[in-house]
Amino acid sequence: MAVEVVLPKVDMDMETGVIAAWRVAEGDVVRQGDVLFEMETDKALMDVEAPGSGRIRGLAPVDGEPIAVGTPVAWIDVADEGDAVAESVSASSGVPEVAPAARSVAAIAPASPIAADADERTQAVGIRATPLARATARESGIALEAVAGSGPRGRIGAADVAQHHARAASQPSPADDDRLVPFDPVRRTIAQRLAQSVREAPHFFMTAHVDMGALVAALDAHRAAAATTTRASVTAALVYLVSRTLVDHPMLNASVDGDAARLHRHAHIGIAMDRDGDLVVPVIRRAASRTFDDTVRELGRLREAIASHALAPSELRGATFTISNLGMYGVDAFTAIINPPESAILAVGRIVDTPVGRDGRVVLRPMATLTLSADHRIIDGTAAARFMADLRRAIEDARSLA
Amino acid sequence: MPSDVVPAMRELSYAEAIREALGQAMERDDRVFLFGEDVGIYGGAFGVSGDLVHRFGSERVIDTPISELGLAGAAVGAALTGMRPVLEIQFSDFMTLAMEQIVNQAAKIHYMFGGKASVPMVVRLPGGSGTGAAAQHSQSLEAWFAHVPGLKVVQPSTPHDAKGLLLAAIDDPNPVLVFEHKLLYKSRGPVPADDYRVPIGIAAVRREGRDITIVAASVMVVRAQAAAERLAVEGIDAEVIDLRSLRPIDFATIRASVRKTHRLLVVYEGVRTMGIGAEIAADIAGSDAFDFLDAPIARLGAAESPVPYNPVLEKASVPQEDDIVRAARRLVREGEA
Amino acid sequence: METTTRAQGQARERAELAALDDATLREALLRMHLIRKFEEAAEASYMRGLVHGTMHLSIGQEASAVGAVLPLEPHDYILSTHRGHGHCIAKGADPSRMLAEFFGKETGYCHGRGGSMHIADVEGGNLGANGIVAGGLPIAVGVGMSIRMQKLARVCVVFFGDGASNEGAFHESLNLASIWRLPIVFLCENNKYGMSMDIAKAMAVPNVADRASAYAMPGATIDGNDLPAVVDASKRAVARARRGDGPSLVECKTYRLRGHSKSDRNLYRTKEEIETWRAADPIARLARELEASGRFDASTLAAIEEAATRRIDEALAFARTSPEPDPAQVTRDVYAQ
Repeated sequence: MAVEVVLPKVDMDMETGVIAAWRVAEGDVVRQGDVLFEMETDKALMDVEAPGSGRIRGLAPVDGEPIAVGTPVAWIDVADEGDAVAESVSASSGVPEVAPAARSVAAIAPASPIAADADERTQAVGIRATPLARATARESGIALEAVAGSGPRGRIGAADVAQHHARAASQPSPADDDRLVPFDPVRRTIAQRLAQSVREAPHFFMTAHVDMGALVAALDAHRAAAATTTRASVTAALVYLVSRTLVDHPMLNASVDGDAARLHRHAHIGIAMDRDGDLVVPVIRRAASRTFDDTVRELGRLREAIASHALAPSELRGATFTISNLGMYGVDAFTAIINPPESAILAVGRIVDTPVGRDGRVVLRPMATLTLSADHRIIDGTAAARFMADLRRAIEDARSLA
Repeated sequence: MPSDVVPAMRELSYAEAIREALGQAMERDDRVFLFGEDVGIYGGAFGVSGDLVHRFGSERVIDTPISELGLAGAAVGAALTGMRPVLEIQFSDFMTLAMEQIVNQAAKIHYMFGGKASVPMVVRLPGGSGTGAAAQHSQSLEAWFAHVPGLKVVQPSTPHDAKGLLLAAIDDPNPVLVFEHKLLYKSRGPVPADDYRVPIGIAAVRREGRDITIVAASVMVVRAQAAAERLAVEGIDAEVIDLRSLRPIDFATIRASVRKTHRLLVVYEGVRTMGIGAEIAADIAGSDAFDFLDAPIARLGAAESPVPYNPVLEKASVPQEDDIVRAARRLVREGEA
Repeated sequence: METTTRAQGQARERAELAALDDATLREALLRMHLIRKFEEAAEASYMRGLVHGTMHLSIGQEASAVGAVLPLEPHDYILSTHRGHGHCIAKGADPSRMLAEFFGKETGYCHGRGGSMHIADVEGGNLGANGIVAGGLPIAVGVGMSIRMQKLARVCVVFFGDGASNEGAFHESLNLASIWRLPIVFLCENNKYGMSMDIAKAMAVPNVADRASAYAMPGATIDGNDLPAVVDASKRAVARARRGDGPSLVECKTYRLRGHSKSDRNLYRTKEEIETWRAADPIARLARELEASGRFDASTLAAIEEAATRRIDEALAFARTSPEPDPAQVTRDVYAQ
């Protein structure tokens, strides 16, 4: 029977060893206890003894390669059957069993973190808030950025969220018979843009009481001779006159563009109109280049298009100056909000026979109040005043509109 | 006595309650015996065993030499072979001498032997500071033992619990360490005369409140309750939880309380670093109670020093009632731990 | 003591041998062979990488293990050391379940939780091997107390090594056992070395048993490799204990032919020393004496050894094919229910 000579495990954490040198040769007769080879270990060279007596064969090569513990590195053919060598390892074992792997304790799976809502994550970056405040805000649909924190270093606590919630709720609560009309996209846009305009553009206002007599007479003459079927209106006349006046007052036909004023080459005049309760501002493009008839025609076209909802979006864009005429409603005067990105808007009231002083006497003249709103970032008082003076002159000296 | 008059439950001191528990246990069960230094004729260093030696004899109330390691091992051996020993270690500080038998043997035998043997022993340990016994006779080392699987650790704060927890400990088939507080031995409270148990592993809500949870053990419970009354006057309603058990800790009760009050202050006499409070804070921060926290978690523990001799320093080195009031107020009003 | 003279040509039998009948001697020799072959099988398995950790083999110490335990009854107790495989087998443990334990299998004595150093056969009276030097000594005190209190006619033999006699636990335990007259046999297996420390350099007196008088108990130093001598000394000590006369200290001088553990490079002793002791191999010695005195013939002796070999082969097969424990059960049996 053959007795295996295995590479022995001698240290708790040893997995491999290296044969440094054989002390016997192939075919030698060895006795149990004889040193067969030297093994390299972490600590020192170690002698490995023969587990039995007999002829040794099959010596593993000395090549410096690590050998797994338990691997046979030679065999000893035991001489006698009655040999009392007490090698208890059953010779029937063939391939040595691999050392049981270090028992892997079942890793306790980490509880998966409650996935924060992507929205919540981006909102909450940099905000100090207690877990309770966060949970409450999340449940109430309150954005943490909207909440003021009263805790140390601005930390938002549950009380802060509650207070915020209560304040929002304490807005005048709607009476039972109120009707809530949610914004449609148009209204939402108007609300957002005009609020922005008031916030960002420092408005100032300038009023002129203008004698409309000449203009009205010119209009009457035009109507009598008109080739157009559309009745020319005061608004049309103002478009015609304002656009030509703007030529000499480029800063009133400009937009704030960062740290600069963008002066527009052409005056595209927006006309504030109403459609079903909404403000719409169609634009008469290059108004200063149009003849009066053309202006009248275009204005008429736009009005019809609005009434029939046939206005293209492009016709609502690009105004560089807006005129808003509420005279037909009996309004004497009003101040308008500039339509961004424009820098000025002219509000026109009704024409009323008004007693005025002329050449030392009181006469009744058809007067209208024109109010200019201007963006003081690029339009100063004198600029506005000069514009208004020129406009007044253009209106009061109007002879013919052509 | 007229039938409509209910007799008030009698009051015992904490020491008397323990003595009553030992006497009742030894009467009903021959396997129970008490041994330790000076427990017999002297009546116990803190007067706890009293006259037990006269009632049960010196074979069951055994005076021993000063041999903590040998005695701890003897408790293990006796418990292994059918007895229910109760060992008194005169000062909890001397557990350091017995560590080998408590930690390597008592705690581990049941496990190492695959459940084939158990060690139903009890060690009673007078501990804590406040008597001027200085650094080597005043420690609160219960956290060391709460860290060892296989041991159970309890800390009664009232005479009622001192009796009930000790009886539960004697019944328990595992090694149980009972940390008694020296300053509590003379405290008095209602103690039922019958043979009852306070279950190990269940905390007690001593005072209900809505604004802050104060978790405490042993003498700190008494201080926390006093603090709670003062806090109530200033409009802070504190819930006081008496841990009673340090291994296992009743986390469920603490979590439920924090979900209600949103603020947690843990008060204990062991050194603050690596103490019981650290474990409780970590549990809350890692549990579903986390979502209900509205302030950081605060801990009060002993100073990072040996217990000083000078009485002013000694008092200053562990949490007092004033400290609890201040810490609770700070947590509630300022949101700072 | 009588000496019997057998048929001419056979050596005089000494008293210690004559005191043992054939059945006892057969059992003793079988157990010694079982221990030897068990240790060799364990060693071979270890070298093949089948055993985790390390092991402390008692090859060469078979006579002291078997001789000390031979006079015991099944319900007597033993406490063992980290070098405890021999004690375990001597007390009648099943080698299959022992080897399964070393392989970490669920079918081992401790369900794979204890391993070589914590092997125990509680039902068989072996209260466990111990990984702490001198760890069993205080526990033995408790076992002795338990026996006295329950008025049982039992004895506890606690094994320990020469190194253990310098631990505080040794001194505390002998003192306690002596003052309380406990039924304990303190059985020292002096194999000359701690791990690498020669006992002559480590101990203030030349023999461990010299310390017995310090604790007012009888001490005997004997040739631990002479089985009949060990049995004789053990019988006296066990009888004394069972009578109620108290503890004894028996020192068996022996030698371990293998290193302290598997990583021992034997740098602290010479090959000559090892060879000298190998020549005094207790098994060979007993076999020679039995044959020379005509008690057993060569074929009987061979058959006994064969039986041991077969039994260990069975044990190996059992251990190899037994199942591993389930990792999900890692905390099972930390606490007794």
